[in-house]
Amino acid sequence: MNGPLIVQSDKTLLLEVDHELADACRRAIAPFAELERAPEHIHTYRLTPLGLWNARAAGHDAEQVVDALVEYSRYPVPHALLVDIAETMARYGRLTLSKHPTHGLVLTSTDRPVLEEILRSRKVQPLVGERIDPDTVVVHPSERGQIKQTLLKLGWPAEDLAGYVDGEAHRIDLAEDGWALRPYQKQAVEGFWHGGSGVVVLPCGAGKTLVGAGAMAQAKATTLILVTNTVSARQWKHELVKRTSLTEDEIGEYSGTKKEIRPVTIATYQVLTTKRKGIYPHLELFDSRDWGLIVYDEVHLLPAPVFKFTADLQARRRLGLTATLVREDGRESDVFSLIGPKRFDAPWKEIEAQGYIAPADCVEVRVNLTDSERLAYATAEAEEKYRFCATTATKRKVTEALVKKFEGQQILVIGQYIDQLDELGEHLDAPVIKGETPNAQREKLFDAFRTGEISVLVVSKVANFSIDLPEATVAIQVSGTFGSRQEEAQRLGRVLRPKSDGHQAHFYSVVARDTIDQDFAAHRQRFLAEQGYAYRIVDADELLAP
Amino acid sequence: MGIGELDREAHVPEVTGAATAPRTLAEALRARGDEGLAALLRARPDLLSPVPNDLTQLATRAGTRGSVVRALERLDRFALQTAEALAVAQDPAPYPVLLGLLTGDEGDAEIEAALPAAVELLREQALVWGEDDRLRLVRTARELLAPSAQHPSPTGLGPTVAEATSGMSPGRVQEIIAAAGLPTTHDPVSAVAALTALFTDRDRMGSLLDTASPDALSVLDRLVWGPPYGEVTAKPAAPVQWLRDHGLLLPVSPRTMVLPREVALHLRGGRAHRAPEPVAPVPGVLREYRPQVVDSAAAGQAQLALATVEELLKSWDRGGPQVLRAGGMSVRDLKRTASALDVSEETAAFWLELCYGAGLLASDGEADERYAPTPAYDDWLDLPPAERWALLVTPWLTATRTPGLVGGQDAKGRTLSVLGPDLDRSPAPEVRHRVLGLLATLPPGSSAEPESLFARLRWERPLRGASAAEEGGDLRSRLARWALAEAELLGLTGRGALSGPARALLNLPLAEAASAGALGGGVEPSVAAGRAATLLAPLLPEAVDHVLLQADLTAVAPGPLRRPLADALAVLADVESKGGATVYRFTPGSVRRALDSGQTATDLHAFLKAHARTPVPQPLAYLIDDVARRHGHLRVGAASAYVRCDDDTVLDEILADRRSSSLGLRRLAPTVLAAQTDPSGLLDGLRSMGYAPAAESTTGDVLITRADAYRTGARTAPVPVPDGPPAPDTTLLGAAVRAIRAGDRAATAVRKEPAAAPTAAGALPRTSAAETLATVQAAAMTGSAVWIGYVNAEGGASQRVIAPVRVEGGFVTAYDHTADEVRTYPLHRITGVAELADDQV
Repeated sequence: MNGPLIVQSDKTLLLEVDHELADACRRAIAPFAELERAPEHIHTYRLTPLGLWNARAAGHDAEQVVDALVEYSRYPVPHALLVDIAETMARYGRLTLSKHPTHGLVLTSTDRPVLEEILRSRKVQPLVGERIDPDTVVVHPSERGQIKQTLLKLGWPAEDLAGYVDGEAHRIDLAEDGWALRPYQKQAVEGFWHGGSGVVVLPCGAGKTLVGAGAMAQAKATTLILVTNTVSARQWKHELVKRTSLTEDEIGEYSGTKKEIRPVTIATYQVLTTKRKGIYPHLELFDSRDWGLIVYDEVHLLPAPVFKFTADLQARRRLGLTATLVREDGRESDVFSLIGPKRFDAPWKEIEAQGYIAPADCVEVRVNLTDSERLAYATAEAEEKYRFCATTATKRKVTEALVKKFEGQQILVIGQYIDQLDELGEHLDAPVIKGETPNAQREKLFDAFRTGEISVLVVSKVANFSIDLPEATVAIQVSGTFGSRQEEAQRLGRVLRPKSDGHQAHFYSVVARDTIDQDFAAHRQRFLAEQGYAYRIVDADELLAP
Repeated sequence: MGIGELDREAHVPEVTGAATAPRTLAEALRARGDEGLAALLRARPDLLSPVPNDLTQLATRAGTRGSVVRALERLDRFALQTAEALAVAQDPAPYPVLLGLLTGDEGDAEIEAALPAAVELLREQALVWGEDDRLRLVRTARELLAPSAQHPSPTGLGPTVAEATSGMSPGRVQEIIAAAGLPTTHDPVSAVAALTALFTDRDRMGSLLDTASPDALSVLDRLVWGPPYGEVTAKPAAPVQWLRDHGLLLPVSPRTMVLPREVALHLRGGRAHRAPEPVAPVPGVLREYRPQVVDSAAAGQAQLALATVEELLKSWDRGGPQVLRAGGMSVRDLKRTASALDVSEETAAFWLELCYGAGLLASDGEADERYAPTPAYDDWLDLPPAERWALLVTPWLTATRTPGLVGGQDAKGRTLSVLGPDLDRSPAPEVRHRVLGLLATLPPGSSAEPESLFARLRWERPLRGASAAEEGGDLRSRLARWALAEAELLGLTGRGALSGPARALLNLPLAEAASAGALGGGVEPSVAAGRAATLLAPLLPEAVDHVLLQADLTAVAPGPLRRPLADALAVLADVESKGGATVYRFTPGSVRRALDSGQTATDLHAFLKAHARTPVPQPLAYLIDDVARRHGHLRVGAASAYVRCDDDTVLDEILADRRSSSLGLRRLAPTVLAAQTDPSGLLDGLRSMGYAPAAESTTGDVLITRADAYRTGARTAPVPVPDGPPAPDTTLLGAAVRAIRAGDRAATAVRKEPAAAPTAAGALPRTSAAETLATVQAAAMTGSAVWIGYVNAEGGASQRVIAPVRVEGGFVTAYDHTADEVRTYPLHRITGVAELADDQV
């Protein structure tokens, strides 16, 4: 009766990390509980119906869940909660999707009233066809994703036993010469492959591309990779050529500029969601080959139309990759139901402890507005307020001081507002990469930064994701997209690649005191704070003092 | 029947022979030992109030309808079946006949084993008297249980041949006799006797039925297990015709036929009941857990119960919801409470009633009536958790209020509201005790199969609540269902099995156990509660005095916090998650609240440092300093509202801000603004603009807002409404038995002079109440007239000659010869009664 776990009546689980049984407990509850927060002392997990159903799908039963809770719990577990777990888990598997030899895809039920209940739902009716017998109903094959999503919302998740198509075979091997997949990457690949489809959550810089490559080597089939932008597409290609048996010619790029379809094709979300005359002309890409695997990079950014296409792809294996599965639009559950449940998740600090990402020092620099700025801020229109405080002149001085302090290291200055960045670029005498910078120019500048020709780079939000800049050790954020939690995490991710000399990375967020900039900053930091990154707060005056 | 035979049950016989068999119930009672009388009074405590004068009066009272109904309702199924069987047998019935009615011709070992106990029980309760060769059911019980057209018997039997043919023409009887092949006789009485003899003779009856057509047999089949009445057309079909001709069906009206009791019994093989249930169903074990698992689950639930009660009453600290005019709480307030507690409305109603029953909340009795915690709640809060728990469950055990009814409707279609009137259900405590008692009979750690529990409860009290039609829907089953659910919520059971502390608690008064306890050495309720609390205490988590602070601005208390700490922290931070531990989140708003309550930033830092087991994270320290820096920076006066600030830029800011326009601000001085709005509106306005102003008193001090606790005046908890009088204790029983004995001796002592004969006309007859009742009852049976003295409502005395028709509920309904109409007289107004001389009628 002195376990590390406290089971709360609101279905959160509090895990005391310093407890000797904490690791065992973490392993026991990980299959069914979502890690919600991982600060220094107590990690918070949450029991959700989705998590419990995923656990059922992975072969765990209610008794195991209850046993794990009861075994590690410090206090008696509320009975109502145990009953609720058993009831929730019992809802899974009453309905199954399977292949019928003559009727194709069918929905079968072991519990007739449940089938009656869901067939009565107006949302299910258009997705199903004829009733073969009292327990079986035909499902239109194209609606496999839709019906799964709908049933999930109705609270009767279907077990999908219809399997996957193998896709067109294509030989892909990992070229492990002088390197090897890290243990957690292997676990992630195995977890994904075992589950069929799903999402792998790894911190920025922890090598998600290699997890993708590992999955491809498992599938040994033609693969479609969806990424956020062209630069990222090139990086994927580069990395795949380097790490696998694939050659340049086998990998195609499908973007605004090139339209290559090869055994492995890397496409951008942007080109897929380009709409002309009310239709999406590039959608046929999904059907252009018999893909055996579809990889979604940065799945937290998955645009809404792609959700819809993905629903039609349920027969193909899908792998989602992300560092921060927090969507400000709250569509996390759509990601889970359409791409698949979370198959692997590692707290950032744990990967840091293993030395695969650099330790980071996160600092919030508070600057005071001058009196005239305060007045201007107070009189600004509501929608202009953030811009006003985020681009205050004092921030420039602080940024200059920081750049000077870390002279000789590779520094990224990241911001939201172009004129602010231009001004900073001018003052710091550093090149600026923004939306209008052509791709060729961007790559040139990134290369120069990697090789150390330039040591300071001012970037807009185009560099938020998937830009691999291993040498960057200092990031200075002067403004951001309001309170976006994942943006903050992604920006920190820019400096988390392990450094060759193993030294610390620095992340500075410059914030105007007593303004909404400060409120947004607090919100932005929440994800990282919950991942265990404790921000230090310093006053601008300290930095500016000689 | 003559009077002498009728008043046997009550009347004092002229001669008492100890050796001979008792001839009346009173005699039978007199023959009992004191222990036997005490047993009767214990089982039927209603006979004790008031204490009867003598055994005759006791016997009379034991024969009244109300008391007999009460006693019958408390019989278990087999005893009731035994009584029902006696009611269909001739009176008196010898034991073998009774046994035959229950077992049928084949016999049944279980019934044979169970019957003596059932008869003994009926005898003890004075429902049956007489030796085994002459068992008599008391008359009222016989009337209640014997089949009649209006009240079909549970046995499904019809009237006897004698009863069914009583109105029939002698000619018709002759025809039947002839059809049955019996020797004709002109005497109708012997004709009926011959027919009865034929129907009760298995062999002759068998050969008679052999001649019946299959159709006729199938008609009999349909009537045999009841109801025994069937509709016929004016010209019935051949099989029915044949049955009617042979007297196997007898007419009760031109269109209705009845199957005589003797025929039905023959067809049933002699059994009065289709399914006698001599053995109580045993509650089945659903699952077995280790007792430790059960205790810990129950303790967890007990902890949750305490937390819920505290949360509920804390939220009413500044006054709870309004009391409806008809009493109780509105549905909307109940919904609100339920969502605040994050439970269903049924559960919320339970917690509310629990608090009310424990005297922790009550209406404040003000003009604008509202619910609020009582002073007892404050005392309760100061107790250790286990004792707090005991104080919740002890009143629950005896409470008659049933929260399960909330949301339902009463007989008049009004919705029953929580804490409102009409929620008392007298059987509730008894059912609760039985449910827990039955759980206690299972091996430790076992949870019971609920349906088997309910079946057992129905067996124990088949008549009570039987009015509700569907199975399981009757009040007792519903009460039992609620009792199970509530016991789980309270942590008396864990995973459905009775916990250790609950077992200790159950040494408590329930109708039987208290009296058994009083005689056998049980313990006082408070002692049992204390024992239960002692057992529970080590199972509850120990209170902690520290929290863990984290950089994401949360604090986690890894267990229940000690009280002052919990209160202080609840001001400084918002509660985010509750349960075994508590998660608090610090926000600017919560820190401001703490500052508003009069603390300074330094106090807060010191407080956190003192109670945190971890270093105070820098973001938290900054948060407090940030809020404190701005807290009170702006000051708002009350006079007609002003804003004052040493920093005139801030005032510039405010004045420049468009959002301030609604506040009607005007600059008074470089550092002072005046406002048109009232101070509180101004405070809100400024806060919404992102400032942290502080209110100022007229003398310029900062006003401190701190939470007050709102209480009712001293209130007592509601008194349970038990069913009938309380169970008598030993002292009362002893005294009562002695008093009855003494009275009886006085009444039965052989007097020198015979009782005075009815006085001559002019004086009112005077008789004792018992004698009046017995005489009037006897007259009602025989339809004879009596002479009564009567005092009307104005006190005027008169003498009347009446022919009693019915004696019921303290009233005599009678044909009044004097007034020549049917009137009703309250028995207590009748001063006395005298039989009329024969020539007077």
